[in-house]
Amino acid sequence: MYTVRKVTDDLYWIGANDHRLALFENIFPIPRGVSYNSYLLLDEKTVLFDSVDWSATKEFLKNIEDVLDGRPLDYMVVHHMEPDHGGAVEEVCLRYPEVKLISSEQAFEIMRQIGFKAIDNHEQIIVKEGDTFSFGAHTYAFVEAPMVHWPEVLLSYDLKDGVLMAADAFGTFGALDGKLFNDEVNFDRDWLDDARRYYTNIVGKYGPFVQDVLKKAATLDIKYICPLHGPVWRNDFGYIIEKYDKWSRYEPEEQGVMIAYASMYGNTEHAAQALATELCEKGMTNVVVHDVSNTHMSQLIADTFKYSHIVLASVTYNLEIYPVMKNFIMDLEALNVQNRTLGIIENGTWACTVGDRIEEFVNERLKMVDVLNDRVTLNTSLNEANANDMHSLADAIIESMKNIEETKAKAKK
Amino acid sequence: MLFKTTKEHEELRKAVRKFAEEEVKPIAFSLDQNNEFPDEIVKKMGENGWMGIPYAKEYGGAGLDAISYAIAVEELSRVDGGVGVILSAHTSLGAYPIDAFGTEEQKKKYLVPLSKGEKIGAFGLTEPNAGSDASGTETTAELDGDYYILNGNKIFITNAPKADFYIVFAVTTPGIGTHGISAFIVEKEWEGFSFGDHYDKLGIRSSTTAELIFDNVKVPKENLLGKEGQGFRIAMQTLDGGRIGIASQALGIAQGAYEAALQYAKERVQFGKPIAQQQIISFKIADMATKIRAARFLIYSAAEMKTNHENYGMESAMAKQYASDICLEVVNDALQIHGGTGYLKGMDVERFYRDAKITTIYEGTNEIQRVVIAASLIGKPAKSKSKGGAAVAGKKAGPITGERKREIFKEDSVKDSVDKLVAALKKDGYDFTVGIDMNTPIVDAERVVSIGKGIGSADNLKLAENLAHAAGAALGCSRPVAENMKLLPLERYVGMSGQKFKGNLYIACGISGASQHLKGIKDASTIVAINKNPGAAIFKNADYGIVGDLAEVLPLLAEALGMGEKKPAPPMKKVRRSKPRKLAPNYGVYVCTGCGYEYDPNVGDVEGEIDPGTLFEKLPEDWVCPDCQKEKDKFIQEFYSADRM
Repeated sequence: MYTVRKVTDDLYWIGANDHRLALFENIFPIPRGVSYNSYLLLDEKTVLFDSVDWSATKEFLKNIEDVLDGRPLDYMVVHHMEPDHGGAVEEVCLRYPEVKLISSEQAFEIMRQIGFKAIDNHEQIIVKEGDTFSFGAHTYAFVEAPMVHWPEVLLSYDLKDGVLMAADAFGTFGALDGKLFNDEVNFDRDWLDDARRYYTNIVGKYGPFVQDVLKKAATLDIKYICPLHGPVWRNDFGYIIEKYDKWSRYEPEEQGVMIAYASMYGNTEHAAQALATELCEKGMTNVVVHDVSNTHMSQLIADTFKYSHIVLASVTYNLEIYPVMKNFIMDLEALNVQNRTLGIIENGTWACTVGDRIEEFVNERLKMVDVLNDRVTLNTSLNEANANDMHSLADAIIESMKNIEETKAKAKK
Repeated sequence: MLFKTTKEHEELRKAVRKFAEEEVKPIAFSLDQNNEFPDEIVKKMGENGWMGIPYAKEYGGAGLDAISYAIAVEELSRVDGGVGVILSAHTSLGAYPIDAFGTEEQKKKYLVPLSKGEKIGAFGLTEPNAGSDASGTETTAELDGDYYILNGNKIFITNAPKADFYIVFAVTTPGIGTHGISAFIVEKEWEGFSFGDHYDKLGIRSSTTAELIFDNVKVPKENLLGKEGQGFRIAMQTLDGGRIGIASQALGIAQGAYEAALQYAKERVQFGKPIAQQQIISFKIADMATKIRAARFLIYSAAEMKTNHENYGMESAMAKQYASDICLEVVNDALQIHGGTGYLKGMDVERFYRDAKITTIYEGTNEIQRVVIAASLIGKPAKSKSKGGAAVAGKKAGPITGERKREIFKEDSVKDSVDKLVAALKKDGYDFTVGIDMNTPIVDAERVVSIGKGIGSADNLKLAENLAHAAGAALGCSRPVAENMKLLPLERYVGMSGQKFKGNLYIACGISGASQHLKGIKDASTIVAINKNPGAAIFKNADYGIVGDLAEVLPLLAEALGMGEKKPAPPMKKVRRSKPRKLAPNYGVYVCTGCGYEYDPNVGDVEGEIDPGTLFEKLPEDWVCPDCQKEKDKFIQEFYSADRM
């Protein structure tokens, strides 16, 4: 019973924390680790909700055994078959020969694709949107949440205790390390950045589907949100739902500027810093500056979702966009980023073409991203000739913030 | 509608018909003859509550459906097509855009009096160079503080000059085609807003039609309708509905002509029996009635779709095109049945015959209606999204500084060329008795004399300074002159990476025209090039040019412009040209719940043999996701925020 925690009287968190994994999905750095959440319900029947990553299976199996305390395992509900949660599904089947599986049709298909042969020796109960299943005192209703962020995803809702099993929705990077509930951590201070980086990079593309789920969830009287990663929410739901609502509508969280620069020898970097300085001088202090060459893409994406304005400062490279910067803007397209205002600082020593390339890309490939007319063009380095254009860009950013506020106010009428 | 109008519809028809027959019919001939607008009739229609039929009661309207509105236009037109179009233009062109796109304040201020009939509305889109193609719009609205300054003119505007409020379309961001057009609510009484003569038209002579002239009309910022850049969309959406009005007008005219012909054919006896009993006449009547019935169903069906907020653009185009085409056929047959009598002034059919023609022309010619219908059926050709296409897209064809006059003066002597140049500049409105300080920052300067490497050496700098003084201009240069020759400080070089000139007159002396330099002067109103190399790129980017040696041309030009003291120039107005924000698609965008694939109507689905331009709603029911084969009904619609709509 060492790493188990109670969510409600008869619902237990039996997951695991991972500090060894360097890259989540082999792409996202997780310096604060990650938790794989699994839950076990002791009702008339015993019900396991999801499993964990293969790497944490040993501890997970121990937790099941401890909580069951000799009882058989009757059901396993699989909400999401991505291997960081479904990794131990077959192992559970092998250890509990009587366990019945409850999942979506497509999730069973994915289990077979993975090669979980043992599941076919178990009863497979396929559930669809609106189906309910009673385990005794607790009846769970199932909700389909396609493309949040895989197609087979189910959510379930305990009609008795108001527990929402949320799959990857409301999840976050970061190991729990003993804490379980949102009110046991300072979420805004210590977790929000990772929650944003998790959502925007993993679910970011699927905003319309998240909106769909939020609409369904709005009809439920939720008392607990149990995600598959990170803290369980048991109060302050408005806080996290508002974040999800904004992210999934591609509305900026904050009026502010992210300046991302690609600089080979520091000249473009200097211009980026100069713009940041000028913006702050003019009162817009909500500014962050990132070097695209040594800032992880997931961080750039997260801040793009956070701020209303983006400035791309890039050198020309082979008459094109500097490769790392190009990767970034291609990721903006891949993640469906939209509804932002964008400024450009371009640099070139003999033929400065990068600004045009960026603007073309943005206009053709991104949705509703407005490029400001006030571009700054550098010939190798910032000099006194650029002063006017730097002022214009800073002014245009601040002015567009006001204009957008006005447009939004008008649209509300 | 189950192919039948409601009792309420027919009661409204009865009321409008009674009014038209009792009040309009007796004066219709005189209105037509005198080209006269029926002020009293319009006032009474307002009192009867017919000037805002489809608008909500809280905004002064009757709160009825689009079929009711169509019936009203039809019944008025059955007696007088001119009166019909007064109501149609007022309701669907003047009031609709405010109802659909206006703020609460705009609705209270403008829609309420329009709906109550206290004020008359009109719609100004057409211009001499922008008819079917709105991208040719030349009327401009430049934001200056709290006002947009409106300049330009609109032609063929129905209800002008009687109308009180005008929905006017003007360019707020030049150079980006229809995306740069915005809509404004303009009041008749505003200073600088005047009208051309009332046109002398073939038909619908009881409606008034005039040209709108805007000379620096100050439009308050709050009279922007919708958002900047949304104008074209507003115009198109308005015209979708306007077509129902014109279709109803055509239907009414046809109905009136048909009834007159039927009655005449029953009364006129030849060969011992009414001509209606002659098979050839009876068949004409049968055909007329059949066409009218078909047109009516097309119109009511489109109107019903509009009321139900269905996508009705194609159906209203079909209704307008068909009703107006058959209207011409019906009035022709009706007049033919009347024989010589029908050819006489004072006969209703004579008037119907003339009134009918406009219906195939205005609010989208029938050729454009067919474009709309065909595009909706067939789709559009695929947009080139290949890498090759993408690389050149977004670049404007032609010279970097845009289309210029490119007038090169080649007179017998350099002096004559210089005089011609000065005359041309003065004709363009440049006043050389005023001037600015030579050291005015380039971005603040209304005029700049700029020198390139062609200046040769520091010895010739004086020539340029003299010219700058004579032209009342600041002195600037190209990048090499500042960076390498160091004749002027770095902050005085003009170009993409240096100072951008946004004033009026730019005189380029000895500048060859490198692309980065030209990009910095593309906003100049007038560019003058002086260079000894006739092949220099600057000449392709200039309005005026003289090929010659600077040492010779510059002193002559300075002298011609006048070397005396200059009065201080009035302050230059700086206009920030900000682009409008992009708008969300105005069609439904749908994504697949099986894989996240987004269906883009602009691309279609090549493998599924779906042409580009096919809306999601029009995809066949058995269409499946090209990436994961999920069914069409498993797609969900994307959401866009109100401030992007």
